Amino acid sequence: MYFRMITSSLIRRRSRMIVALLAVAIGATILSGLVTIYYDIPRQMGQEFRSYGANLILVPSGDDTVLGYDVAERVKTFIAKDDAVGIAPYRYGTIKVNEQPLMAAGTDINEVKRTSPYWFITGQWPEADKEALIGQEVADLIRLSPGSRFTATGTDGGGNSFSRDFVVSGIVQTGGTEEAFIFMSLSDYGDMMGNSGGIDVVECSISASQTALDDIVSQISENIENVTPRLVKRVTESEGSVLSKLQALVYLVTVVVLLLTMICVATTMMAVVTERRKEIGLKKALGAANKSIVMEFLGEGLLLGAFGGLLGVALGFMFAQTVSMNVFSRPISFQSFLIPATLIISVAITGLACLIPVRNATDVDPAIVLRGE
Amino acid sequence: MFLRMVKGALFRQKGKMLMIAFTIALGASLATAMLNVMLDVGDKVNQELKTYGANITVMPKGASLLDDLYGIEEGSGVSDQYLRESELGNIKTIFWAFNIVDFTPYLNTKARLNSRNDEVELVGTWFSHYLNLPTGESLNTGMINMKSWWDVSGEWLTDQDENFVMVGSLVAGRNNIQVGDSITIDIGGQTKELTVKGIFDAGGDEDEQIYAPLRVAQEFTARPGLISRIEVSALTTPDNELSRRAAQNIKSLSIKEYEIWYCTAYVSSICYQIEEAVTDSVAKAVRQVAESEGAILEKTQLLMLLITILSLVGSALGISNLVTASVMERSREIGLLKAIGAHDGAISGLVLVEILVTAVVGGISGYFAGLGFAQIIGRSVFGAVIDIKPMVIPIVAVLVSLVTLAGSVPSIRLLLKLRPAEVLHGR
Repeated sequence: MYFRMITSSLIRRRSRMIVALLAVAIGATILSGLVTIYYDIPRQMGQEFRSYGANLILVPSGDDTVLGYDVAERVKTFIAKDDAVGIAPYRYGTIKVNEQPLMAAGTDINEVKRTSPYWFITGQWPEADKEALIGQEVADLIRLSPGSRFTATGTDGGGNSFSRDFVVSGIVQTGGTEEAFIFMSLSDYGDMMGNSGGIDVVECSISASQTALDDIVSQISENIENVTPRLVKRVTESEGSVLSKLQALVYLVTVVVLLLTMICVATTMMAVVTERRKEIGLKKALGAANKSIVMEFLGEGLLLGAFGGLLGVALGFMFAQTVSMNVFSRPISFQSFLIPATLIISVAITGLACLIPVRNATDVDPAIVLRGE
Repeated sequence: MFLRMVKGALFRQKGKMLMIAFTIALGASLATAMLNVMLDVGDKVNQELKTYGANITVMPKGASLLDDLYGIEEGSGVSDQYLRESELGNIKTIFWAFNIVDFTPYLNTKARLNSRNDEVELVGTWFSHYLNLPTGESLNTGMINMKSWWDVSGEWLTDQDENFVMVGSLVAGRNNIQVGDSITIDIGGQTKELTVKGIFDAGGDEDEQIYAPLRVAQEFTARPGLISRIEVSALTTPDNELSRRAAQNIKSLSIKEYEIWYCTAYVSSICYQIEEAVTDSVAKAVRQVAESEGAILEKTQLLMLLITILSLVGSALGISNLVTASVMERSREIGLLKAIGAHDGAISGLVLVEILVTAVVGGISGYFAGLGFAQIIGRSVFGAVIDIKPMVIPIVAVLVSLVTLAGSVPSIRLLLKLRPAEVLHGR
């Protein structure tokens, strides 16, 4: 009987109820959408901040002057797979081109693309063997352009002289010291210099919070011997401060928007219920107890809140997904706790918004209400 | 008569009208706050990103990074190139002077520490320098502002500390130097006794260097008024196709494109203007900082734009919803009006004017409340005042009036269709 009263009252007064349902759904959409975005911002923005390049470098410690060749692989075991954006090992050595001494760097080109996304390449990244990427300064010095050839000479680790031909695949501009290097793949570098040495430095770009990074640093220095991990403070500290500001911004915006939206929802619900003072008066005149009237309206409100909340969860996630795809081109992760949270909040607000006008109406003498005063 | 009716309706139903005005005020304040924050967020985040340090380095023409690599001694005086300290103020006179946040000169020399054989680099710089500009203004600039991530034990130097230095953590660790120790520095035979005022951990190459005030380093190396490098931190607009083309070759631009490029705060055009202002200099964008700033700035702005749109749509729907609800509620009154012979036009006019008067009251108070919200956000997040953009006023005004009309017109039309007898009968 109770349930029939509620549902039939909702269905009979269709147009008003759609208005109320819409109000609740909008509130719930904004709630679930913004909270989803708020939770995902650090992760998504953290990824963007990786465009600043490596935030952890590994250098040899103690008496060693080089790192082992397997160091990159061993470091990976301490970093969660999704967090490791790129891990690029570098070997450095001097070569001569046209009798000019220059620095050559052997590295894993695919990893460099990920650790240093800010490199501006004229031409292309090296793809085949015997292709090299040269810094702007080197290009100016020995007048090379993409596609041209040069011969690198020098002596390898064993003291034997070598001579190798390379094709310039591209020229790199960074505004920093990288412009004075010639970059090539590790295999080309080993072929030239021999493999007796080891890795000079490893650059890691890790998408993680400051504390997680500190954790990784202590784990690496405990578990891998002769390696000193160093955080690139300029990147890590600045990232921390900017990211926390951004999160505070979204947090405050979320709070303000939610607060205002919820009040909006409440006033709409109040308007819809206030309209029904007459009905309340009639019920009272027919002998309904205050309690049962309140229960009935509360039931309606809760039903509306639950429907609107469910609708809002779905719409809010769709909105958050659209934002994430547009801004970050990455899908957003769904926060499952938002389903109960959105439902509870929307039910609570609609319930509360119903109660106030119903209370006002039930407190008044039915005769006065029915007379319309 | 019409006026009296409107006034009567407004005052008789004070409570209800107040509620509508309140909701409209909430919606309008939400729109105002979000629009103001969104329009200003670019500038604010740009300021925050300055913590990443310089995005432009200025070097003498012909000087090259390559020198460092071969260890060609700068003291040998063969190919040394310098900029003039007296021209530093010119950086603040370029077209985009207001976008230059900070700049710091450096003078690097190789020195020997405590008469050992291995060399360290001694860097002279401004720490916090008060500078009178050629334009008559003055400004405080220097390294303390630009290296926010440095972790200093002891104290930062000031530019007046003639007998003090700051030592990088790696140099200090290798040579067992503590804060308060005195060290001997030897440059080309000249020695000087200096006290360590601070030891810093910069987490970068600087940890291998020793810093002293610029004037001390200039006197020490007999290079008065000369500097070897300037780092500039500037607020820039993210790069686009035009600026990339300009960076490659300025001559490829047409006159109009050149003007657009020159008058936009691209990092490449600021570099170009610095080169014009400082003789024989080459200004380069530090891509690591410049590029990433652009990316993060764009993402943040887009994010805020989308959140703003969501909240605008939300508040629009909320307002029009409430207006619909409150107009529909008045079916009985409208029925009565019709029964005593009111025309449709007169009724619609009456209801509309009532709602619009309420909307104006709500909208205006909402606008000012929204400014308050925007300032709260600005204060607590960025510690700075959010600029109030006048263009928000028409946007909010149009939004509020459209939304109230959209909320009331359909419901009024619905009510006009009702037959007075039925309505009055209560069906």
